[in-house]
Amino acid sequence: MAGKRARQQGTGEADAEVSSASSADTAAAAPVLLPADCRMAAQAALKAELLGVLKAGAIVLDGTQVERVDTAALQLLVLFRRELDAQGGTLRWHGTSDALNEAAGLLGLAQLLNLPAEALA
Amino acid sequence: MAKILAVDDSASMRGMVAFTLRGAGHEVTEAENGQLALDVARGSSFELVLADVNMPVMDGIAMVRELRAMDGYKGVPILMLTTESHTEKKMEGKAAGATGWLVKPFDPEQLLATVKRVLG
Amino acid sequence: MSAVDLTQFHKTFFEESREGLDAMEAALLALDSGSTDHELVHTIFRAAHSIKGGAATFGFVDVAAFTHVAESLLEEVRSERRAVDSGLIELLLRSVDCMRAMLERSSQGQPVADAESEALRVELVRLVSGEVAEPAAAAAATAPVSGWNIAFTALPHLLQTGNDPLRLFRELQQLGRLEVVRAFVTDSAPAQLSELDPSQCHLGWELRLHGAVARGDIDAVFDWLDGDCELTIAPLVEAVAAVAMPAPDTAVPKPVAGPRPVRETAAASSEGSSIRVGIDKVDALINMMGELVITQSMLSDIGEKFELSQLPRLRDGLVQLERATRELQDSVMRIRMLPIGSVFNRFPRLVHDLERKLDKRVRLELQGEHTELDKTVLEKIGDPLVHLVRNAIDHGLESPAQRKAAGKSETGTLKLNAYHESGNIVVQISDDGAGLNHAAIVAKAQQRGLIAAGQELNDAEVAELIFQPGFSTAAQATDLSGRGVGMDVVRRNVRDLGGSVGVRSVSGKGSTFTITLPLTLAIIDGLVTAVGSERYIVPLTSIVESLRLRADAVRRIAGGGEVFHFRDEYLPIMRLHRAFACTDAVTEVERGIVVVIEEDGRRVGLLVDDLLGQQQAVVKSLEAHYRRVQGISGATILSDGSVALIVDVGGVVRLGQRSRAA
Repeated sequence: MAGKRARQQGTGEADAEVSSASSADTAAAAPVLLPADCRMAAQAALKAELLGVLKAGAIVLDGTQVERVDTAALQLLVLFRRELDAQGGTLRWHGTSDALNEAAGLLGLAQLLNLPAEALA
Repeated sequence: MAKILAVDDSASMRGMVAFTLRGAGHEVTEAENGQLALDVARGSSFELVLADVNMPVMDGIAMVRELRAMDGYKGVPILMLTTESHTEKKMEGKAAGATGWLVKPFDPEQLLATVKRVLG
Repeated sequence: MSAVDLTQFHKTFFEESREGLDAMEAALLALDSGSTDHELVHTIFRAAHSIKGGAATFGFVDVAAFTHVAESLLEEVRSERRAVDSGLIELLLRSVDCMRAMLERSSQGQPVADAESEALRVELVRLVSGEVAEPAAAAAATAPVSGWNIAFTALPHLLQTGNDPLRLFRELQQLGRLEVVRAFVTDSAPAQLSELDPSQCHLGWELRLHGAVARGDIDAVFDWLDGDCELTIAPLVEAVAAVAMPAPDTAVPKPVAGPRPVRETAAASSEGSSIRVGIDKVDALINMMGELVITQSMLSDIGEKFELSQLPRLRDGLVQLERATRELQDSVMRIRMLPIGSVFNRFPRLVHDLERKLDKRVRLELQGEHTELDKTVLEKIGDPLVHLVRNAIDHGLESPAQRKAAGKSETGTLKLNAYHESGNIVVQISDDGAGLNHAAIVAKAQQRGLIAAGQELNDAEVAELIFQPGFSTAAQATDLSGRGVGMDVVRRNVRDLGGSVGVRSVSGKGSTFTITLPLTLAIIDGLVTAVGSERYIVPLTSIVESLRLRADAVRRIAGGGEVFHFRDEYLPIMRLHRAFACTDAVTEVERGIVVVIEEDGRRVGLLVDDLLGQQQAVVKSLEAHYRRVQGISGATILSDGSVALIVDVGGVVRLGQRSRAA
């Protein structure tokens, strides 16, 4: 796995300090909002949006609205994070819905997505 | 519940499928061949398509192929309603992009179980 | 991927299981004939137990489920909660057959359980106290499997079939506790996010599904994904290489352990053509190789600085080389030799079944089980022997009442014997029954038009009749009690092996069928003969005598045939040059040599130009390289590199007989 670098585990939890610790000097970009129906049909738009923010460095995703999600969506996010990681950026979550947590947990992708551990319980 | 498209040239078969699914709370649209199904599908977004294999005008296999090429239907489950003796047809359907199949004859319970399986 | 690829042990498991089933069968038959040896019950139980454990370990769920029930029943017998009666033994024998068939299907990757096995399983379940019959799926679900390793990697188009791994995982979760050991991005993923087609899937998983889940249920989940993913499902083997912790005794996976060189030889080669070789035979080979190497180095030493004075040493070396080569050849041939016991072993069961079916009492005696036969011969001799045994019990042995009336013991004796005799293997099937019924055979032969009415026949000729094609009609061939069923087929099969079959019978005392087989198919001792510029090899074992005839010793008979007088009979002369169309050969009988050959008691004189000497010939199949040729059984390469054809004695004798008849 190319993008899986060693990474400090604390990053995800220490939300408050993250932005200052990150290499990005701009203020954290506005969270990218994942749509309620985050299934395959929504991927083209989501992909475009993610590509648009890729350079921003410290990315925050808002998963609170997600009601429907599929493997394609989670894969897109995994690959997004992989690329972000490779560029030295960071990914954190502004919040996640139960549907998102359930799907990521079931597919074993929570770690690759840097999902907050406590959300998975 | 889910929006489902049921495609079959046999009215009785289609009726049985639609009736059963509606009874379970689904919203079912019926079409009697592949061509009509494509017309309906284009202007709508179904979460599941159930289609007979052998139909006039456009058969189920061609329909699946067309559906998969349409935006919004790339990952939608499409189940072929087929008879066990037609293994080649099964494979042909799969090659066209069908998700799986429901072997005729099936009873309402089997239908609901399979639909539940696909819709998760 | 799972840590241990269990498929590599399947072959061993199948072999062990076959042996176990043979042992079960033998013990059951011993119990049936009245033995009260408690050890027999243990043997049967142990065999069932280890088959069950192995089947569960290696994922043969149906076999495990079936054997589980059989084992429960046996446990009752072992703990003396259930008495052994002939009904139980019959049921268990049928179970053995069923397990054998199930394993056979497993080994061929076919569906394992069928209606028959299911019916029998239910019958067993009913018998086992306190257990309720349930459908196979449910029984399979209770099979002692602790879980499954599932390696699942999506092919890129997976999502486009509408099959979402999320849904699959949810279904798996319904079956048992699902643990994702690892989720990963596959190499098929594009390096850049911008290149990603979100409808393509580039993910793979290593999963563990915990719980007693039936393999079939997992297969059902992935049923629709054939061709859309890479999938490996293997039973979860906990602590396989492990620690001192004793594994649960049902599914002990210990295929790695223990020195089992013989087994491994077999497992290494492919299914169809493998052979199990005793370690002693391999050792003999290695010894021979050692000698050969020494001889070779000695010879090359002489060769490097050869002087005439060393000629004696060279001769010694060549003698040594010849001896070592011959011994090596013997050793190699011995590898192909297997004891006939493996074929004999199936007869106790056959006899047991026939006794019941035909209402006769039979005592089976086996002798010479250790006599070894070439593997190819061994594989093909089974069916003819079964035919003969069946025939002997059906037609040879009388009913208990008839025997009593004839002053014999009510139980008939059937004897199978195998032994070596002058380069051949002889297998005899003899019974102490009524013997061939000459009058009935003659009547039937007349009815079939094989002989003319009123034709006088001696005993040998009458016995010959039962081997004639057409003696038993097609209608009777399907009927076990038809007389002489398929004896022509028996003879043809034996002849195909290069052997012969005959019968001796004494009225009221019994019959003896004798099969004579070549020791090995691949090498024959042959007499090299010249016919024109061609070389033909006549198998030594079929040569009676070679002689030179005077011109006036040959008589022409009506129809153009030639005969000569030999030991009180007239034999047809078969001119090999004519039979095989050789142009430059000797045509005057007095200038050539007549080789008298024999097959099934019938003799023919072969006219050849000259005898060139004896040679061992490695038989090459003509059919494999060219096509079948009448009168020729194969070809070989002579020491000068030329090709010689090997005379098919049976075929030539038949040709000769026909020309006499013509």
